[in-house]
Amino acid sequence: MTAARIGLPTALMHSYYRSFWKPFFEELGLEVIETGPTTKAILNKGIRYSVPEICAPMKIYTGHVLELLDQGVDWIYIPRFVSIRKGDVFCPKFLGLPDMLKHTIPDLTSKMVTHHLNVKHENIACMKEYLEIGKLFTSNYRKIKNAVQTGRKKWLEFRKYCVLERYNCQTANGKVFTGKPALQSDLPIKIGVIGYVYNVYDDILGMDIISRLYKLGANTVTFEMLEQGEIDRQLRGYKKRLFWAFSNKLLASAHQFFRDATIDGIIHVTAFGCGPDSFLGKILEINFSQSPKPFMTVRVDEHTGESHLQTRVEAFIDMIAKSKNFKE
Amino acid sequence: MKLTFPYMGSTIIYQKLLQLLDHEVIMPPRPTQRTINLGVKYSPEFACFPYKVLLGSYIESLELGADTIITSGGHGPCRAGLYSEIHLKTLRNLGYHVDMIVFDDIYHYPKLFLERLRMIKNHKSFLQLIRAIYTSYQLAHAIDSLQKFMEIKQAYELEQGAFAKAFEIMRQKFAKAANTVKDVQCLQREGEMLFSSIPVHEPPESQKVRIGIVGEIYVVIESSINTGIAALLNKLGCEVTRSLYVSEWVDHALPRFIKKSDTAIIKNSKKYMEMGIGGHEIHNIGHMIHYKEQGFDGIVHLMPFACLPELITQSLIPKISIDLDMPILTLAIDEQSGAANTLTRLEAFVDLVRNHKLQKAG
Repeated sequence: MTAARIGLPTALMHSYYRSFWKPFFEELGLEVIETGPTTKAILNKGIRYSVPEICAPMKIYTGHVLELLDQGVDWIYIPRFVSIRKGDVFCPKFLGLPDMLKHTIPDLTSKMVTHHLNVKHENIACMKEYLEIGKLFTSNYRKIKNAVQTGRKKWLEFRKYCVLERYNCQTANGKVFTGKPALQSDLPIKIGVIGYVYNVYDDILGMDIISRLYKLGANTVTFEMLEQGEIDRQLRGYKKRLFWAFSNKLLASAHQFFRDATIDGIIHVTAFGCGPDSFLGKILEINFSQSPKPFMTVRVDEHTGESHLQTRVEAFIDMIAKSKNFKE
Repeated sequence: MKLTFPYMGSTIIYQKLLQLLDHEVIMPPRPTQRTINLGVKYSPEFACFPYKVLLGSYIESLELGADTIITSGGHGPCRAGLYSEIHLKTLRNLGYHVDMIVFDDIYHYPKLFLERLRMIKNHKSFLQLIRAIYTSYQLAHAIDSLQKFMEIKQAYELEQGAFAKAFEIMRQKFAKAANTVKDVQCLQREGEMLFSSIPVHEPPESQKVRIGIVGEIYVVIESSINTGIAALLNKLGCEVTRSLYVSEWVDHALPRFIKKSDTAIIKNSKKYMEMGIGGHEIHNIGHMIHYKEQGFDGIVHLMPFACLPELITQSLIPKISIDLDMPILTLAIDEQSGAANTLTRLEAFVDLVRNHKLQKAG
């Protein structure tokens, strides 16, 4: 008998938790199918099945789910992110995601594997949440526990590369799974990129902004390189933090980047129709209006052309390079 | 301290409460195009529409001399809970000297809540505070019950505008004379009499068209920004019932032991949505099912453009519409909505609803 195949849509939180999910399901004896980078075809599928106004990442996720259905997998794992820190929640769209997909995509209900992810720490690998998922595939308690532990180890390794060795989400995943080290060289410019993993590392939305910057002679830092303790420290001054887990991470990283003298400029990558980012952007705009550091917001959606991004990024880097030369 | 508050629904309720506590109140003007333009100018592009309108409305009240804004808070995941923070930042950034008294969830911040209560109770005793709150609570219920009555009967008025005129008369009377619970009750009876004396022509039961309105609270309640959708539907000869009124919103926020809100209706939504996601989505879906059970003919779903929770509801609507065999129209409202657009879509929708009803009748 061949192993049952489970599909992981390669969108939204996937790149952040891939190093946990993939080994976890593999340990359970399943074959893991990933949809890979977003393509135009996947995006178009998603657009057909979603409400026009909804944000681009959600359309892309829908597209990946449809792609998995077309590939004929047996299961599709669609978690419902509720909270990964006490007091923080996720955007309402994440909370309603499984309901939305279940009722918009026909034939999904019988294949969907879902559960509430409601934990106190961003390390989601715990038995409380994953026991019921494991039970769908095996009745062996020890096997499930083993799978969770294997996954947790991989994920912690992933976080270790991010926090200690300054890998970003993409390169850290590469390092964990293939052992390939990240390209690192001493470049003259350092840019802080603020953006959710599903925008920055998506091929269609982010259009590989990180390597674009690299080619232009700029190293990048991202929010993944901050650990949770550091994030809470940065946000101590806020009477009321934002509600959304990853928006808080972005806000904290923005504070860190603006304070860090080695960072020359900051780019905020946001998707069309992102609610949390609309407020995050306003807070950044007001809080750092006095800061001398260049700050740029790039809004992307499914229609954004590559040349638009390239031009803006180039102009931004040119400006920084010039002002650096001038100072010297 | 010159107080003002967000403009939503019948503002005399909040005005009354603050006046009973001897505060100086600056009434926010009814939102107009200028309000919306002001709000849009200083808001992030993708902020939700109520955020923009309220910002514009605050600026107008501040121009009139207010210096303190009373508003409600929240704890997510809907963006509305952060309005106060960002509004305050923006207003101060624009150079206004303004304070905000924010009422956050009593369960999350009980100490803060009491402190805020002390701030607005002025020199009055807690007993007087409770009495004032109770009076305005009754006032909200009285006004809403008149409005409910109006939105049904207005569809059949013989002389156009008769109900609107009567409602305006009553509103002024409430504003002037409703200072105790007894006054409120008297005025409510007076209003009911006045309303029943308005001549109407009711068609036979089989020809009546009943429309339910559900959606995000601000665009459902505030007629100045939803292009007066209830009145428009009335004009097209439809009875209208809304899922949200100010008084019901208050009931909803009250602790269980004081008032049981419509939990049975909300339970209906379990089939479509496992958990509440921060807005009124389970409430709305529950009401859609409830309207079907009540024999309504169509539902209009209102949402501000890019509202996070309502987008999920909107995604579910095609399925719900098929399951319930009920026409449902979603209207997204923002600074670009025009009255002509809304009217055209409503006319087409009402035609469809009538046909659907005829077909079902055989």
